[in-house]
Amino acid sequence: MRYSLRPMQPNAQTHPALEIERLSFAYGPGDRGGFELALPSLTLGRGEEMLLVGKSGCGKSTLLQLVSGLLDPTSGSIRIGGTDIAALRGAARDRFRGRHIGMVFQTFNLLQGFSARENVLVALLMSDVPKSDWAARAESLLRSLGIEQLDARAEELSVGQQQRVAIARALACRPTLVLADEPTASLDPENAVNAIRVLRDACREQGAALLVVSHDPALESHFARIERLASLSAHATAGAAR
Amino acid sequence: MSDLTIVFRSLAVRRFSTAVVVALVAISAGLLLAILSLRTAGERAFERGTGNAHLLVSRDGSPLVSVLNGLFYANPPKAPIEAAKLKELRESFPWAMFVPTAIGDSYRNFPVIATTPEFFTKFEPVLGEPWKFAEGRAFDKNFEVVIGSTVARETRMPIGSKIVFTHGSHMSREDGGPKIEPHVHEEYAFTVVGILEPTGAPHDRALFCSLESSWVMHAHDRFEREGKHKLVTVEDLEEQDRVVTGILMRLPSREASSAPPALVSQYDRLRRDPSITAAIPANEVQRLFGIVASLDVLFIAMAAATLVSSAVAILLSMLNSMGERRRQVAILRVLGASRARIFWLVLTESTLVGLVGAVAGVAICIVVLFAATQWMLGAHGIVIAPQLDPRSAVIVAMGTTVLAAIAGIVPSVLAYRTSVARNLRPLG
Repeated sequence: MRYSLRPMQPNAQTHPALEIERLSFAYGPGDRGGFELALPSLTLGRGEEMLLVGKSGCGKSTLLQLVSGLLDPTSGSIRIGGTDIAALRGAARDRFRGRHIGMVFQTFNLLQGFSARENVLVALLMSDVPKSDWAARAESLLRSLGIEQLDARAEELSVGQQQRVAIARALACRPTLVLADEPTASLDPENAVNAIRVLRDACREQGAALLVVSHDPALESHFARIERLASLSAHATAGAAR
Repeated sequence: MSDLTIVFRSLAVRRFSTAVVVALVAISAGLLLAILSLRTAGERAFERGTGNAHLLVSRDGSPLVSVLNGLFYANPPKAPIEAAKLKELRESFPWAMFVPTAIGDSYRNFPVIATTPEFFTKFEPVLGEPWKFAEGRAFDKNFEVVIGSTVARETRMPIGSKIVFTHGSHMSREDGGPKIEPHVHEEYAFTVVGILEPTGAPHDRALFCSLESSWVMHAHDRFEREGKHKLVTVEDLEEQDRVVTGILMRLPSREASSAPPALVSQYDRLRRDPSITAAIPANEVQRLFGIVASLDVLFIAMAAATLVSSAVAILLSMLNSMGERRRQVAILRVLGASRARIFWLVLTESTLVGLVGAVAGVAICIVVLFAATQWMLGAHGIVIAPQLDPRSAVIVAMGTTVLAAIAGIVPSVLAYRTSVARNLRPLG
C-alpha cells in the first residue's frame, strides 16, 4: 500500500470546492448485475450549494462515495479544493477526508453510546484543529444548531436533534465540502424543510460548499442550483441499485 | 476526547458482554495467581514451621510423617520412645539442644505438647526468632500451661484460667494402631501461666505443659486400668510412664542458620537405629514439596488453560459484536480514521479487557488467598500469610494482557478490512 502523508496539491482558496472531470466508475457484473457511472464534468464553487437529484439506484450515493474517497473511480479525477482525492492512498486519503469533507447521512450515523458533544469531538479528533479549540468549537457548533443537551447520548435525542448533531459533526473540521446523502429521507415534510434550512444555514455560516443528493422533489424549491444525475451522466446505467 | 475515549465508549455500549468477559478473565487470572501464590506461601509456611531443629527423632513410620506429626502436629505420633532409649540418645552426642516432646492430649481440639523448659529457651519456633510471650511466662512447675496465640484468640482464656485436657484427641489415628478413646482428665486441672506471641507456625494453635504433668495424667490412667484408685503424683511415676513421642535435636554450630558438618554423620548414625525414625526437618519439607510438585504443575496447567479459554471468550465476544462494530468502524473511517487506526482501536479494546480482567484477577487472588489462609488455619493449623508474590502478579497480569491482545487480532483485522461503503447503508 502506498501512503502519502500530505495532500498532493495545496488546498488553495482559488480552487473550486469540487471539480470532477471525465469520471467513470464501474463494478460488476456479479450476481446483482453490473453498474456503470460516467460523469464528464461537474464543478461546485466554494460556498456554493447544489442539489443533485435522480431516481433511486441511479448512482447518487455512489457518486458521493467516489467524491469522499470511499470508492475508487475507474478513471478520471475528483478534486476537492484542488487536491485529487482519488490520487491519495491509504491513511493520507482518510486524513484528507476527515479534514476537508463533511458527511451527513439519511440515518445520521451517529456513534451510539457517545454524547452529542462526543460525536462532534470524534470528528475533531481526526482533524488538524488544535486540541485546545475542540471543546469550544463543539459546544458553539451544537448550540448554534439548537442543541442544548450536549451530554445526552445520541440515542436519547429526538430524530430532529440527531440530524442537527450530524450536521454539527460534518462541519466540525471547517470542511471545504459537505456531502449530504438523502438528509431528509427519515423526516416528515415539516422537519425535512427545517433540516434542509439548518443544513444550508450552517454550511453558509462555515463557508462550506454543500452537495445534497436526494430523490425528494420537495427539496428542489430550496436550491438555486439543481442538477439531474441522468442528464449529467454521459452513460449511466443501473443494472442494480446500490 | 482521545482514541482511548472511543475504546471506553465502545466497551460501555456492550457493557453486559464486556462485564461477563472481564469477570471470566479476572477469575482465570485470579485463580492462576492464587495457585502460584499459595504454592510459594505454603512452601514458606512449611519451611518456617521447622524452626531451628536440625534433627527430629520419633517412632513414626517415615521421616516425613515424623516431621508432619512432630512439628506440624498433623496427627498424634504413632508410638512412644521409652525412657531408656531417651537416655541413650541424650548421651550419644553432645547435643546443643535436646528437647523431648510428648503429643497425644488435646484441649478443645488444640494439641497439647508436653515438653521440657528448654523448649522455650533453646528451641526456636522459627529459625532466628526465639519465643516471645505476649503475657505471662513459661511453665516452671507441673500443671502449668502455656498457650499459643491462636488458642488464646479462639478460647479467650486469660492468664490464671484453669483447664483440663482430653487424653487422645480429635486427630484420629489412621495407622491401624491402638485407638485411644478420648476421655477428659478431670482430676488434673492446669493453670494458664503464659500466652505466646504469634509465630506464623503451627505452634500457635498448640498448648505446652511439662512432661511430668503429662506423665502423671497417663500414669493415672494406668493406675485406673490396674484397679488402683488414687490420685497419682510425680512420686508414683515409674520408668514405663516416662515416655515421649519425639525429640527435637540441634547440633553445636557456629552460625545459627547453617547446617553443622556433623549433621550428616549424626543423621546417618540415628537412621541406622531400627527402633527409631530420624528426620532432618528442612529436608523433609523439601521432599514434601517435591512429591506434590507434579500435582502442582497440573493445577497450574489447568488454571493456565482456563486463562486461554477466557482469551477465546474475548475473541468470541468481539466477533459476536462485529455487526454493530462494522457500522461504528465505517463512521470512524468516514470521519477520517485510517485503517491502521481502526486496527489499533479494536486491538486496544481487547487488550484493555485483558488488563482490567488481570487487575480484577489480582483482587480476586487476594480474596482467595485470605479465604485459603483461614481454611488452612482452621482445618490443618498451617499458617499461611496471605502474601501476593509481586513477581507472579506482574507475570500473570502481563500474560493475561498479551493473551487478550492476541485474541483481539482477528477482530482487529476484520475491522481493518471493513468496507465503509457497504456498512453505511441505507444511503438512498
